[in-house]
Amino acid sequence: MTTFALPGLPRTVLRLHRTALIVWGTFVAAVIGWLVWLNTVTADRGEREMAYCEHHETCNILTALNYSERTGYIGTLVCYSFLAVAAWAGAALIGRELESGTAKLAWTQGVTPVRWLTAKLALPALLLTLGGTALVLAFRWGWSAHRDLMGDDWTFADVFVARGPATVAYGLCALAVGTLTALLIRRTLPALGISLAAMWLLNFVLERHRGSFWPTLTRTSATRFDLQNGLWQLTKGHGADGYYVTYHPQSHFWPMHLVETGIVLAVAALATLIAFRLLPRRTV
Amino acid sequence: MTALAAPAALRAPSPRLSRWLLRLHRPALYVFTGLVLVLAAALLWLWGPLTDAAAEGWRQWNACGDHPRCSYDQDAILRYKKVYDVTTLAMFLLPFLVAAWAGGALTGGELENGTAELTWTQGVTPARWLAAKLALPAALVAVGTGLLVLLHHLMWSAGEGRIDTSKSWYDTLTFAVNGPGLVGLALAGLVVGALAGLVVRRALAALGVALAAMAALWFATLSALPYLWPAVTTTGDLDSGFAVDGLHVDYGLVTSTGRHIPVPVCNGRCEDVYTKLDAVGIYNDYHPRSHFWPLHLMEAGLLLALAALLTLLAFRLLTRRTATARHREEAAV
Repeated sequence: MTTFALPGLPRTVLRLHRTALIVWGTFVAAVIGWLVWLNTVTADRGEREMAYCEHHETCNILTALNYSERTGYIGTLVCYSFLAVAAWAGAALIGRELESGTAKLAWTQGVTPVRWLTAKLALPALLLTLGGTALVLAFRWGWSAHRDLMGDDWTFADVFVARGPATVAYGLCALAVGTLTALLIRRTLPALGISLAAMWLLNFVLERHRGSFWPTLTRTSATRFDLQNGLWQLTKGHGADGYYVTYHPQSHFWPMHLVETGIVLAVAALATLIAFRLLPRRTV
Repeated sequence: MTALAAPAALRAPSPRLSRWLLRLHRPALYVFTGLVLVLAAALLWLWGPLTDAAAEGWRQWNACGDHPRCSYDQDAILRYKKVYDVTTLAMFLLPFLVAAWAGGALTGGELENGTAELTWTQGVTPARWLAAKLALPAALVAVGTGLLVLLHHLMWSAGEGRIDTSKSWYDTLTFAVNGPGLVGLALAGLVVGALAGLVVRRALAALGVALAAMAALWFATLSALPYLWPAVTTTGDLDSGFAVDGLHVDYGLVTSTGRHIPVPVCNGRCEDVYTKLDAVGIYNDYHPRSHFWPLHLMEAGLLLALAALLTLLAFRLLTRRTATARHREEAAV
């Protein structure tokens, strides 16, 4: 398969996990292909429908709705792909090898545990970064290409993650957390379940507190008012100076997104550090 | 070959075998029981306090009218919606979890590491082993999901008409968990997982195959659902809409001879196209509210029949494989 010479260890890792490699490659290619199809064929038909609707009383907008629904699905898939990574890293990458003893076998064949774990983490991390970056770039393009056909906005939980490096950060964090879980538990299926649950929990907590990752703006008025679309409203109420609303404008997307990316990467680094610290105790 | 499987499979597993099975899969038993209890508690919470609070919030909102300074309990409405959505989704995922476990741990794991073969040498025939593996989990899954379905239906009914944003009976996820169809899907999940484990004989691969098969089964169920019971047809003139309060099956145009034809693509002059087609009205095929139970019972029945069929297949596969292995050993001796 490989005509260029890869060193032995990375080649072994690739060969051992080729199913995962194929699944990941197919997923990335399929999502990008789907986005291209939606933004050429489907979006064209949707735009024609909308143009017709502007001049007629009765019309249908089924294609436009399809476009918006499917772009929404893609955002969900891209954002939550880290859950699959967590399950795989916990179960197949590390857990199974520790349970079945093939890891110990490898360590007797001149591969030190540290090099073994480094190869196990570095190669998937590289492929997750490349694939994740491609997914994010494709989604950013597809999501903004036909805003008039879409009903969502930048504050949607999955859209928020899928439009930037947080997607890659979550993938890397899932890899590290899955590895750590597997090293702690050393059994395939429990590692799968716990790693999945841990990553879901991390995302759940960050999603809930996303609004406080950057200072909000406040608007006050003597009379009742509504914010225009595209602003993320957090609280509203009635104080001494009249009505107030705290919110994030769209310009806060990047600061908030990068703070979340930083937190997720910090968790990933911490989990990796603990995993390497834990490794000597697993080799005796 | 057919005579081999049936008698042994039909005999109830011995109490000792069941006890041993419970010991082996104790973590799974705890996780499943815990999940059912947590979800049941959430459903009770929704049914009582959350529904009442959200209904009161909607009553306040509707009493507001156009009054500019009006306060209503928006938090209660949002909390109800959030807890409802999460609980409903979690219930919907239960059959998939059962399938993943059955493939990864119940059969696939034991065949991968060889404890299944070990058991078969200890006076437990493969057919009895499989019968014990399926019977007890099936009972637990049926009781657990049955209880949750009952609570969900009671909870959902309590909110209907009182909470303006409560889900309709035909909302995809709500329908899926609101009746016996979910029990059928969970039992089918158990058998699909067990069969995947027997066929693939590797824990993780079986887990993946079981999940993929369940996804396919769910999409098949979803597409077949509208056709599981005869739909009601209503007609109207060309100006009436295609919107119905129920599960839509089909819609289109009616010609002057009464023929039903699909809606043409007419991103131009629809009136002219309709005239050319001789269309004088529209029709809608759909399921009204009263079709909830027939649809659910049909869905549950079909899924249970599929589960029974796959169980039979699993037994035949297992006995055939172990019989071949025995013959080979005898020949070698």
